[in-house]
Amino acid sequence: MSGARLLLVEDDPQTRHAVARGLEARGHAVEEAEDGAAALRRWEARRPDLVLLDLGLPDTDGLSIVRRLRRESTVPILVLSARDRERDRVEALELGADDYLTKPFGMEELHARIGALLRRAAGPAADAAGRVVIGPLVLDATRHEVLVAAEPVSLTPREFELLKVLVSHAGRVVTTGRLLRAVWGSSYDTETHYVHVYVSQIRRKLAAADRSGALEGLIANEPGVGYRVGMPDPAVS
Amino acid sequence: MRGAALVAGAIGAALLLTTALVWILEQYLGVADASPAYLLAVTVLALAFGTVPAAITAVGGVLVYNFLFTHPLYTFVVADAGQLLNLVLLLVVGIVVGRLAAAQRQRAEAAELREREALALVRVGRELATRSDTRTALRAIGEVLAQRLGEGQTWIALGDSATRERGVDERAPFQPPAGYAVLHRQPGDVPPRWTIVRPPAASGSSGAQPGDGEAYRVPIEAAGRPLGAVWTVRRRCAGAPSREETRMLAATADQIGQALEQDRLRSEAISAELARRSDAVKTALLESVSHELRTPLAAIRASAGTLADGGLGGDDAHQVAQSIDDEASRLDRLVGNLLDMSRIEGGALQLSPEPYALGDLLDAVMRRMRPRLAGRSIALDLPAELPYVMVDAVLLDQVVTNVLENSVRHAPAAELRIAARAATAGSGQPATVRLTIEDSGPGVPDEALPHLFDKFYRAPSHSSRGGGTGMGLAVVRGLVEAMSGRVAARRGDLGGLAIDVELPAVEMPEP
Repeated sequence: MSGARLLLVEDDPQTRHAVARGLEARGHAVEEAEDGAAALRRWEARRPDLVLLDLGLPDTDGLSIVRRLRRESTVPILVLSARDRERDRVEALELGADDYLTKPFGMEELHARIGALLRRAAGPAADAAGRVVIGPLVLDATRHEVLVAAEPVSLTPREFELLKVLVSHAGRVVTTGRLLRAVWGSSYDTETHYVHVYVSQIRRKLAAADRSGALEGLIANEPGVGYRVGMPDPAVS
Repeated sequence: MRGAALVAGAIGAALLLTTALVWILEQYLGVADASPAYLLAVTVLALAFGTVPAAITAVGGVLVYNFLFTHPLYTFVVADAGQLLNLVLLLVVGIVVGRLAAAQRQRAEAAELREREALALVRVGRELATRSDTRTALRAIGEVLAQRLGEGQTWIALGDSATRERGVDERAPFQPPAGYAVLHRQPGDVPPRWTIVRPPAASGSSGAQPGDGEAYRVPIEAAGRPLGAVWTVRRRCAGAPSREETRMLAATADQIGQALEQDRLRSEAISAELARRSDAVKTALLESVSHELRTPLAAIRASAGTLADGGLGGDDAHQVAQSIDDEASRLDRLVGNLLDMSRIEGGALQLSPEPYALGDLLDAVMRRMRPRLAGRSIALDLPAELPYVMVDAVLLDQVVTNVLENSVRHAPAAELRIAARAATAGSGQPATVRLTIEDSGPGVPDEALPHLFDKFYRAPSHSSRGGGTGMGLAVVRGLVEAMSGRVAARRGDLGGLAIDVELPAVEMPEP
């Protein structure tokens, strides 16, 4: 996945420079912004394909940028955050950011995340029939059916809903809070343990049905943040 | 009154007996002048009751002898000048012996008083010297004083002014009375004086005056700072404390003041010692951390320099860049542990424990650690029906990461086994899940096991290679304990080090 137009918002010039050169080396066109004001100007002017956003900006709160971008667009937002700003990170994801990376990160990891987000944005996860296919897993939203290696897996309605939300956000992190509200309803807020328990059950059922082991680690736990369903590798799907 | 009657009776009896003796001596044994026999009575009375009864006995003896035995008989007229001299001598001897005996008796009484006072002060001193807790000692001293002062009440109160003082004995609540006499002491030989601070009449309806006695306050001071007071309340008719009692109260107050001052100095010394140790810990941290920080930095700079020189082929350049990346990750982990350690010690850990399936959490760690564990045989042994654990996912992630890092560092090629079991809960014991991570590496000597989780501790066999800051496992213990868990190290079944992490289990009701 090359040739995308990226907006990199990062106040530290060294990091910004290094990351931008690394991304350009992979064929991306990189716009650089050193603070929130510059970020919004570049955003208005260029409408990039993806935004890399450092939350700790000198002039504005990175969260306000997420809020602003989400009001106008569904552009993928990858949040870059320091280790001691865990709360901000979760809040950014709740506000609609798509993924996060904790600084310091490796360039390989960054390329992988950007690739997943761009693939995700490039086309709908589901085909015309409302089916999502990830390796041997097929989730059919219209028929309320989950197949692993063509065999149906029996999921309860809640388990199905939960898997559907995760799968339809494949490649991105979904916070526990968002999963809870999406599946149980907006009045649920603190019962996040429901999510952990249900994810655990779904994993067990999928593992039992998946003799090939291809789905191992499909639903990954992001400690303290939420869950992520691995984006299918284009070569596989 | 009974005392006076007793003395009068004793005088009468002594005179009667002596007179009878004199009569026998003069009448039957032919003694010419037996009047010195009265000396005996005078001496006995002087020894028993003091000068005045002795003098009365002497005068009485002279009169009786004069009346009964000197011519003219049955009159008080003295005819013989020699007899007169005899009588006068009798009187003088009686008075002198009486005074001497009385002085002796007073000295004996004073000595006894002093002995009791000294005894009480010794008990006060002993209570203070052997105290483990000053407050308890002060309660005991209050009892010693109350015993010594007899009737009335005695308190020891602490506080920096009379109105803010609080009694040390919770069993007998104390309120400072409105009016009292305070003991004023001056340096040097000036005897201490009681000064009325506020007359009891002024206390009005405050009701603070305990009973209907008079209160006396002896301030406790150390280095000029008021620390509290010894209070005693006496019945009105008992009057002010005697010189001896005053002296004892003052001495007790002084001893308490010194003890409190010692307490203060000791607690200051303890804080100073703590500060010193904390400095020592900081120094150890600096030494250990600066070495650990410099090593990857040195590697990074060398690699960067090599890259900057150019001339490296594609593969070589990639390898050098990869080593920069590895060393930077190592630095990152070190900084992460430092941050965790400071959060643990500063009580700044933010915990959000939730029920998790342990397998799910392990899965996330293993996925991330996969590159660093490459090439090792890893056995995962998690029963399907394991209870959920109540943990903070981020912290548990860090715990498992650090334990694995420790194994990577000290037993790089060893087999790894990760197992979890529901620990059978004893009666009244909360249920737990035990996570065991063990390797087939060299392990650590048994004597090092208990210290493995101490900060900056590095097991002897490890110091030769691998190094480390001695922080990773200390962070493990801090985080596990923050999650109400326990961690222990032992020799594992694979021959290497086994680390058991016990985590609180939780029964999950179906959502």
